[in-house]
Amino acid sequence: MLYIELALQGLVNGSMYAIVAVGLTLIYGLLRVLHVAHAGLFTLGAYITVLLTNATGSLVAGTLISMLVVGIVGMVVYRLLYEPLLAQPPYVALIASIGLFIAMEEGYRIIFGPYGNSFASTWLTERVTLGPFSMAAADVAMLLGAIVLLIFLAVLMGRTRLGMAWRATVTDPAMARSFGVDTIKVRYGIFFVASVFAAVAGSLVAVLNNLVEPTMGDVPSYKSLAIIVLGGLGNVTGTLLASLLLGVIEAYGTIYTGAYLDRDAIAFVFLIAVLMIRPQGLFGAR
Amino acid sequence: MLEVRDLVCGYGHLVAVHGVSFSVKAGEALAILGANGAGKTSTLMALAGHVDIKGGSITFGDEDVTRATPMDRCGRGIAITPEGRRLFSDLTVRENLMVGGYLRSMARAKINLEKVLDLFPRLKERLHNRAGSLSGGEQQMVSIGRAMMAEPKLMMIDEVSLGLMPKNVDICYEALDKLRSTGLTLILVEQSLERVLSIADQVCVLDSGAVAWTGSAGEARGNPEILDAYMGGAH
Repeated sequence: MLYIELALQGLVNGSMYAIVAVGLTLIYGLLRVLHVAHAGLFTLGAYITVLLTNATGSLVAGTLISMLVVGIVGMVVYRLLYEPLLAQPPYVALIASIGLFIAMEEGYRIIFGPYGNSFASTWLTERVTLGPFSMAAADVAMLLGAIVLLIFLAVLMGRTRLGMAWRATVTDPAMARSFGVDTIKVRYGIFFVASVFAAVAGSLVAVLNNLVEPTMGDVPSYKSLAIIVLGGLGNVTGTLLASLLLGVIEAYGTIYTGAYLDRDAIAFVFLIAVLMIRPQGLFGAR
Repeated sequence: MLEVRDLVCGYGHLVAVHGVSFSVKAGEALAILGANGAGKTSTLMALAGHVDIKGGSITFGDEDVTRATPMDRCGRGIAITPEGRRLFSDLTVRENLMVGGYLRSMARAKINLEKVLDLFPRLKERLHNRAGSLSGGEQQMVSIGRAMMAEPKLMMIDEVSLGLMPKNVDICYEALDKLRSTGLTLILVEQSLERVLSIADQVCVLDSGAVAWTGSAGEARGNPEILDAYMGGAH
């Protein structure tokens, strides 16, 4: 029973990693930029959700408004930060992105204070019993949220013209333009979708921990970078599988290696081990 | 239909084409010939909007499209089948074709897809395969089909026969012949003369980024020494 519960817990964490990392990999695939400030949007999403939920009493309304606002902020970040730097070498955009992430964290500290915010009502911390298994309601919400978002993403990318345009733009932007794809709109669209995902992940983590603090994006930022490398940079399916795999490995690792290896260190031991065997990542093409 | 006047284009500081002029009437097929490095592909890519135009003008229909974006040109009816095909290799054949029809309504794209499959029946069984997994000949068919999906008035094809088996070259040229008979205007860039002269009405030979000779395809066939002088025996 312990093994199954650990696997479930791993899938819950893996789902959160997946929602954050898939946005990063979408953006990397399109612009070849490591969008570190994505984790800053994750934190922003959490803050907006907790503040609006406490103000209105509705978690759904809080989360929806958070998704919309963070999606728009993501597009603004693209316009003001990345677009002027696209002609520069990739490390310029990376440094700018790290700078923005630090600035966002400090901004949250100044605006919302250093001690964190919590939900006034905590019904999501109650436990749900499914047969022999017992999970926090927030864990169930995380799993369901991830499933809904990932199905939405699969349909968007595989069945819609925007998805086709995005994938064509990733392969050959000049040819995509030749057939009428507005690659600028595709970029804004992808930043919006990726940022909405970050907002959902931030909101779900806020509910899970019943705490939002300025530095809550730190762990997702470096762990999602490890995940997109593991998944094969720009590979969406690889990123999803790597997220779930890492979640499960961490869950078992905390039980069996917890005495000498911190939970957050497991991701990097795993990353180093994989890159020694497959430098292109678990699911990347050589 | 297309009038190119004193076109100067290139990449950054490098000028690849120095003052090229030619025109194509509606329904005509123009062959642009020349040895490697003569400026054929640069001219075609400039017409498609992918190379910096440093001077001259391009008029399509009655409109000046010299500064138009590739998207605008596609909307006005200019489509390209580029050198090396440049398919979206991770997308399926169907998706590649649908991207070709991106500016058209879904209903029109579906009608055009049927036309492409009528022209290249072999693609029917490949529709759900990744484009990158196809043979060179099949990829060329997808590339021509993708351009057809844009409902062009002018289709530009760069090195249709390059690297293909003779059987596939035949299939592609037969398809181009059929398209021409529907009134489509063609510009073909080729190093291989025999096939392209069988389909072209006019010939423009480029040498070192400038026009070296122009004339009808009949005149070109009757004067092999002219072509020899500029093609370096490539044909």
